[in-house]
Amino acid sequence: MAERNIMTKHERKYDLYRKQYCSRKLKDSENILEVEDLRVSFDTYAGEVKAVRGVTFHVKKSEILAIVGESGCGKTVTSQTLMKLNPMPPARIISGDIIIDGWDIVKMPEPAMQTIRGNLISMVFQDPMTYLNPTKTVGKQIGEALMVHGKATRKNVYEKVIDILNLVKMPEPERRYRQFPHEFSGGMRQRVIIAIALACSPKILIADEPTTALDVTIQAQILSLIKELREKTGTACILITHDLGVVANMADRVAVMYAGKIIETGTSDEIFYNPKHPYTWGLLESRPRPDHKKTERLMSIEGTPPDLFAPPQYCAFADRCEYAMKICREREPVNTALSPTHQCSCWLLHPDAPGVERRSGSSFALKTSDAGSVTKQASKPEASGTSQEERRGAGGVNSGKK
Amino acid sequence: MERNNIENNNNNLVEVINLKKYFSVGKKKLKAVDDVSLSIKRGETLGLVGESGCGKSTLGRTIVRIYEPDGGKIFYDGKDITRIKTRKEHLDFCKKAQIIFQDPYASLDPYMTVGQIISEGFEIHNMYKENGARKEKVHELLRLVGLNDEHSNRFPHEFSGGQRQRISIARALAINPEFIVCDEPISALDVSIQSQIINLMNELKEKMRLAYLFISHDLNAVRYVSDRIAVMYLGSLMEVAESDTLYNQPRHPYTQALMSAVPVPDPKKEREKERILLEGDVPSPIDVPPGCPFSTRCPYAEAICLKEKPELRDLGDGHHIACHMAG
Repeated sequence: MAERNIMTKHERKYDLYRKQYCSRKLKDSENILEVEDLRVSFDTYAGEVKAVRGVTFHVKKSEILAIVGESGCGKTVTSQTLMKLNPMPPARIISGDIIIDGWDIVKMPEPAMQTIRGNLISMVFQDPMTYLNPTKTVGKQIGEALMVHGKATRKNVYEKVIDILNLVKMPEPERRYRQFPHEFSGGMRQRVIIAIALACSPKILIADEPTTALDVTIQAQILSLIKELREKTGTACILITHDLGVVANMADRVAVMYAGKIIETGTSDEIFYNPKHPYTWGLLESRPRPDHKKTERLMSIEGTPPDLFAPPQYCAFADRCEYAMKICREREPVNTALSPTHQCSCWLLHPDAPGVERRSGSSFALKTSDAGSVTKQASKPEASGTSQEERRGAGGVNSGKK
Repeated sequence: MERNNIENNNNNLVEVINLKKYFSVGKKKLKAVDDVSLSIKRGETLGLVGESGCGKSTLGRTIVRIYEPDGGKIFYDGKDITRIKTRKEHLDFCKKAQIIFQDPYASLDPYMTVGQIISEGFEIHNMYKENGARKEKVHELLRLVGLNDEHSNRFPHEFSGGQRQRISIARALAINPEFIVCDEPISALDVSIQSQIINLMNELKEKMRLAYLFISHDLNAVRYVSDRIAVMYLGSLMEVAESDTLYNQPRHPYTQALMSAVPVPDPKKEREKERILLEGDVPSPIDVPPGCPFSTRCPYAEAICLKEKPELRDLGDGHHIACHMAG
């Protein structure tokens, strides 16, 4: 058939949508993705849940950006919004801009999204079994991704799928092609998911907790695979995780999210060796490290994240923050740039704020106890740093001494 | 195969000898725990690590007799609890050994209030019979784990994951046990909550002189809480050692690979680190390879490893290892 000169159905559709929606300029030609002041809410019977409250970030070409934070901080919602995967309604993009390689995602309707999903941007999920179809062979499912985007015809799909299975280092790809997902182990299923995601060589890969369900030895295999594929294909990657060890291993840059906002962002070295936000300190200290002594208590962030039905009008972390000052409970902190790559929103970085020092190890201390501006928590006598144990006890363990 | 080199001495609170637990899968046997021997001293925390499906939870559950063992002996305080016949003897054992489960959402009865959940043990063991005393004790336990008195009238669904795990801990502590099996107590919790629970468990251990069997796949957490660590693979123990020794000088090839696979939250160390990547997956526990269970993935495997199963042998300093090659 005369396939050569005529555009295929898929190409025509893609071309049509490209003319319509792919006209935005990225601010920086280095970037592949730019997100500007993105706000996403969910309409529920109980009210509006403000899951993402003004998030701005970018991803450079073939870079790994890690988004870290506790569960419920909006990291998954942010990433799903990039692909418009969350059902709308109840989800709603309140405002903001998402530009991926010139495509204006926010304005795009569902049929247009379908032409770029998997093609331009694709996703690896946490639990591989839930995202694979148990009634179809693995080869069919990978082939489907290729056929939908017209990257393969019925004739050559087999060879292409085998190529991709080889790319993700699946042993015995010919046999695996004909097997069903239940015949695969967890690690192998995750390889299949990665194969599907990379089938159409997207420019951005979103990996949402790709290794949380896997064992450490398998995790190491999958992480090194993702890194290797990045080298080979130049795909940029957004890695969503709560495991800081994985972040240290993988990421070029890190964005720390809390209550629907990015509170600190920087290169991986800046976040790990020179963090500025008290929440980042807490996150880093709350994990036992190999060099942790047993006699040291683990640092823990007391309390729980704020209710996103009615997020506070001031700093969302203020109620859990040991250093909270008066201003922290009055206004949102401004974004301070510490270096071209390192930004942090915290009032402590304001020139008028008292100098606060983060001590490594298990305890924090206030350098100067500025009684005037330090409120509530910090002005209690316990906060002076000496009676750390007692203060922790208030939220952690109410000791039987009383 | 009886092993005589491990004898039941009185220092050990729990002594497991050649324990076996098999499950039937069709006509085949799934060897979840295959010939495991270990011991836990009073006031000691033994960490038990391994990949999922290696039998660590089964081992923990068999030790507290949720499962009936298929072979071997378990001595608790010098008494063979596998031979328990009467209900009274069983209750006596239950009073000393308790378990905390992984999933705080599934292990609390949604129809019972927190107070009822915690005081259920009092009823079974006939403790604190006067009404007031029981209530007082429940409140004391709630305060001990960092909750308030008024929480006793609430139901489990009103609590967050971390709080529920605290309730599970209070329930386990209610009847003053000496030994608690902690079956992945922190895996289902958020990072910042995990550290709260670890701190709590450490504190209670000091205060009540508890012995823990701490089962987890989070190697950093296990190292932090444990005195000694046992590494399990496909139903068998691979290596047992003091926790620092195990982390700094792992001798077994599997432990070495496991340790190198743990990501450390430090980018510089991560960049420099040499990872031992294991090929392939854990074999199915239904068809455990003959010889050393690890032989299919071991980079050093030789002919003898495929034929003969290595015994756990002592390298001195309480460092035990089951490997033909390392020494």
